[in-house]
Amino acid sequence: MDMGIIKVKDLIYEYIRRDEEGNVEGITTAVDNVSLDIRQGDFVAVLGHNGSGKSTLAKHLNAILYPTEGTVWVDGKDTRDDTAVWDIRQTAGMVFQNPDNQIIGQVVEEDVGFGPENMGVPTKEIWERVEESLKAVGMYQFRKFSPNKLSGGQKQRVSIAGVIAMHPKCIVLDEPTAMLDPKGRKEVIRAVRALNDVERITVILITHYMEEVIYADRVYVMDQGKITLQGTPREVFSEVERLKELRLDVPQVTLLAHELRKEGFPMPRGVLTNQEFADALDRCVSEMVQ
Amino acid sequence: MPIILDKVSHIYGADTAMAVRALDNVSLVIPDGQFVGLIGHTGSGKSTLVQHLNGLMKATSGSIYFNGEDIDAEDFDKKRLRSKVGLVFQYPEHQLFETDVFADVCFGPKNLGLSKKEVELRAYEAMKLVGIEDAYFYQSPFDLSGGQKRRVAIAGVLAMKPEVLILDEPTAGLDPKGRDEILDQISRLKRETGITVLLVSHSMDDVAKYVDRIIVMNKGGVVYDDEPGEVFRHCQELEKIGLAAPQVTYIMKDLQDRGYDVSDEITTIAEARDEIKSYFTRLGAARKER
Repeated sequence: MDMGIIKVKDLIYEYIRRDEEGNVEGITTAVDNVSLDIRQGDFVAVLGHNGSGKSTLAKHLNAILYPTEGTVWVDGKDTRDDTAVWDIRQTAGMVFQNPDNQIIGQVVEEDVGFGPENMGVPTKEIWERVEESLKAVGMYQFRKFSPNKLSGGQKQRVSIAGVIAMHPKCIVLDEPTAMLDPKGRKEVIRAVRALNDVERITVILITHYMEEVIYADRVYVMDQGKITLQGTPREVFSEVERLKELRLDVPQVTLLAHELRKEGFPMPRGVLTNQEFADALDRCVSEMVQ
Repeated sequence: MPIILDKVSHIYGADTAMAVRALDNVSLVIPDGQFVGLIGHTGSGKSTLVQHLNGLMKATSGSIYFNGEDIDAEDFDKKRLRSKVGLVFQYPEHQLFETDVFADVCFGPKNLGLSKKEVELRAYEAMKLVGIEDAYFYQSPFDLSGGQKRRVAIAGVLAMKPEVLILDEPTAGLDPKGRDEILDQISRLKRETGITVLLVSHSMDDVAKYVDRIIVMNKGGVVYDDEPGEVFRHCQELEKIGLAAPQVTYIMKDLQDRGYDVSDEITTIAEARDEIKSYFTRLGAARKER
């Protein structure tokens, strides 16, 4: 069977809400019948408002949560198979929102070496992996630093290096830039794109920032635990009004083109870059001049 | 009650080898009723500055005057200052602790030693101001969504009836709709009460949309202090200090570079739309004349 690096079939995840005495108050379906097929080397983005189920979905991809119903396969292994859990976590590494909760080492290079050391990688190879991982995220010159001397974006890149030192085929990032300033966000996204372009690591990026999504091969939009919209960034961002209903947004350039189209300008749907916008406006001018 | 900063410097670990100058000779006047945006990358001194404004930190040198009084004077009532200058920290929902929403909002005014009736009246008003509906009053604050929790936390500060409200990154971690809701609410609150608002933010799009004035900080000093249109004209300089102008400012700059006769002081989508429309109207009129 030809299977992508991550395959999710009819996934349902329910959790039971209890009150203070432990009585069951109700059942919430956080992920509701989701199917995905992600191929090796893809850059996939998941969008959705707070509480839409995207983080719950992400936690299934490296066996932090197990399906209530349905199945998740990571590199062909069922995440419910207890014997495969370490393989799965090694295949699909995870980066979380808060950089301060993920760094444990006193020195950057020790922190990055922590993962491979736990996997029993020989010492010499650990150092090789630390070096290549730090270089991949552009943090090699900081290898001797204490992590608490770094900026948020730098810490987050160290977290990513810590994951890639375990040589995963896939990396899942759950709002990695939510706590960063614009510069830090750019650094992290640049590092993530490089991993995808150069190392061909599969990337699953969960985010609220629309402009980080435009580089993705495929975008999934979640609402109430379901995938309600999917496609290329251009296809998804063509649905300006639908996205607004879903408490989301589109990049400013897409929105400006949309606003002008409402005013009667012949602007295309799903404009993603400033260059495309200016080209489209040039065409408006030449149409007018004719 | 204006706040005046006169050559304020703050040095962390002064007289040690680790001394860091976090604020460097900052002089500012924040008059009554202004909506001010404070931007700067992580570590630029924003949070340090903000904590001086309600006396949580003491200036190493220089003076701060609130309503004409030196806040570091012996006989100055700091407790009163803190009730007049309300500070909402980052992720304020982490500071919720009471059993229900109403009790949490009552906590601040209760500590001011007001009568029970006055406390409850203030809490009620504050919750109305941030748009929390009655149905939530007796729920546990921990059962609310992220955006709602944050409103409760802001209400807790508003219930102290501050004359100046300082919000440190009030939209961090919220989805785009949640961001708009919180900022719209703050903007309405400002209009209705005439309170002074100081918004610390990383999001240039947000700042541009709401504030009258932007203060840009870098390395502990003020780099720009002007209206949004004027500040964002310096987008290259802003990039050098880890910031950026809103995307629409860049779009308009690109159009200018292509020879479009449009303004470069554009900072919001609505302004850009109107500017482009008026450009095309002018173009049409010019053609008719010929």
